[in-house]
Amino acid sequence: MNSINNYTLGELQDYIKNYDVCNYPSLNTVILRNITVEAITPYLQYLTIQMGFQAEIVFGDYDNVLQDALSSDDRLINNSTDCIMVFTRLETLSPRLTNSFTELDEKGIEEEKDLVKNYIVSTLQGIRNKTNAIVNWHGFELPVYPAYGVADYTNSNMQTGAINELNNFLKEQLRDFKNSFFIDINASRAIVGSKNFYDNRYWHIGKAPYTLEALKEISIDNFKLFRALKGKNKKCLVLDCDNTLWGGIVGEDGLVGIKLGPNYPGSAFLAFQQEILSLFNRGIIIALCSKNNESDVLEVLDNHPHMLIKRKHISISMINWEDKASNIEKIASELNIGIDSIVFIDDNEFETNLVKKMLPLVETIHLPKGKSANYKDILASSGLFDSLTFSDEDKKRSELYKTEFARKKSKNEFSGNIESYYKSLNMLAYIDKASAKVIPRVAQLTQKTNQFNLTTKRYTESDIEGFILSEKSDVLFAELEDRFGNMGIVGVTIIHYFEDYAEIDTFLISCRVIGRGLEKVILNTCIQLAKKRNLLRVRGAYIKTAKNSQVIDFYTKNKFVIEEQDEQKVKFIFETKNKISPVPSYFKKINVKCL
Amino acid sequence: MEEKLTKIMAQILSVSESQITPNSSPDNLPTWDSLQHMNLVLAIEQSFNISFDDEEVIQMLNYEIIIETIKGKI
Repeated sequence: MNSINNYTLGELQDYIKNYDVCNYPSLNTVILRNITVEAITPYLQYLTIQMGFQAEIVFGDYDNVLQDALSSDDRLINNSTDCIMVFTRLETLSPRLTNSFTELDEKGIEEEKDLVKNYIVSTLQGIRNKTNAIVNWHGFELPVYPAYGVADYTNSNMQTGAINELNNFLKEQLRDFKNSFFIDINASRAIVGSKNFYDNRYWHIGKAPYTLEALKEISIDNFKLFRALKGKNKKCLVLDCDNTLWGGIVGEDGLVGIKLGPNYPGSAFLAFQQEILSLFNRGIIIALCSKNNESDVLEVLDNHPHMLIKRKHISISMINWEDKASNIEKIASELNIGIDSIVFIDDNEFETNLVKKMLPLVETIHLPKGKSANYKDILASSGLFDSLTFSDEDKKRSELYKTEFARKKSKNEFSGNIESYYKSLNMLAYIDKASAKVIPRVAQLTQKTNQFNLTTKRYTESDIEGFILSEKSDVLFAELEDRFGNMGIVGVTIIHYFEDYAEIDTFLISCRVIGRGLEKVILNTCIQLAKKRNLLRVRGAYIKTAKNSQVIDFYTKNKFVIEEQDEQKVKFIFETKNKISPVPSYFKKINVKCL
Repeated sequence: MEEKLTKIMAQILSVSESQITPNSSPDNLPTWDSLQHMNLVLAIEQSFNISFDDEEVIQMLNYEIIIETIKGKI
């Protein structure tokens, strides 16, 4: 992800030209703009490839944003559009607010603001009449040198205040429309610095305001969102210990000799640990992978007075002298997560290169020697873990993975058959229709679940809300509890009802509970709901992805038959008059509230 | 320097390096339009770590002038 910084524009073009993307699904992007911004293309293409898609990028005509949004022509924006990036620079949209602000009186300012607001609303409505594609609208830039100089900040009705108001208005509108997001261009500008953000030559020559540096940063920001929306964000952070979590080598410097504490140089590592803890609180799994004596590391975790990361934050640790690629593979399999949802951080370039080579799907971050003061920002700027929804489950996540180990251990020790093991877990299942309270977790599961996910359709919170409110749809969620703890919401199903059949649009369960029979209970519930509505058939589908091959025969195992199939998709059908596949008998209690 | 420039021009204008000659200009390279000219200028600035004045930018419309302008900067 950071490697985008190492390429010149020419090298980037070569990389894109030579990369084989023919197996990647396409990401159709339309760019509506009132500036020249074509030079952003290679950055978007590169980041699209990194995300596992191929980019199809089309530009609307210069300064044609509203016309493109309202036009009845569907050549630019249509059903296959995945995302729309909107650039509406105020210099073109309202020169009076930007270039000649001092000529406006209070009434004039209000009029200009209203003009821009109407433009925003009409454009958004126009887009939504055509498509539900993701909309990333870049906000308005605040003046670098405000019209009234220092006086600008003394009154909220001056230039900065007026533009802030427009940005707030835009944010509100975007929140109200489905699937549309505010991209804070001022944040990108702050990272690059305004002196390196604008190319004034090309603004005058060709209405192209931004430098390559600016366009790169803007692209990175857009992809933090795209990754989250496409479920490509990372779930687990694997950390080295010596010279990463603390300065020095614990095996040589000892518990009191390592650098970690409120003062330099230990303060840099403390700040880095705080950043890691923030990720932990956002639901990211933290794991250790280091070459040490395990007892040395555990002593630091348990007994160092300034250590912020404790044993309770670590879901799994591989502290041994084996190679790190094998250890990371073990971490992925123990946690039952994909290798591509892991980020590995190490200060030793040998280790990061080894992992890059052996496990190219793992995202590696190398912490450069002598730059420990920057470690926090290196992690914070990556955006790799960014997610759009946060739920209570996130805070408990690490704990959940820990109890999962207890379960695994107990399973390994269990001598009887698997059914009696399940019986010994005292499992309680609870299934109900989703309400407002659970929307964040339900949306999040659709965005994150890859393995036991029949159709892998990603939905936002507002999508889920729409399904809940619709008479023609049901959103079900399933919770599971056992003697090791409550796992919270681990299953989601979305059903659409038609005249004589029900269609299962989404059927997923979290990887933590795969293979415990919960899926049978949920599918049973779906069929019962269809019967309750006197529907004759239930339809379901399997849409192939790189990760969900384990569920290819889920429906046929449960008495559905194949209706039609091609390379990517198999459709199944079940006649409700037929006998349903039975619910496992080893659950202690099954509470289906919605029947 | 000539080699480096030829490579950048080929990359940005999507042609092979053999198609870049001292006579290359928008007149004989159809991909060299005003948008690609901008990318070309930005790519040259980035790779040679130099910066052109606005007048230079609009005058640099063939290979030889570009080389001369770069030479004046480094």
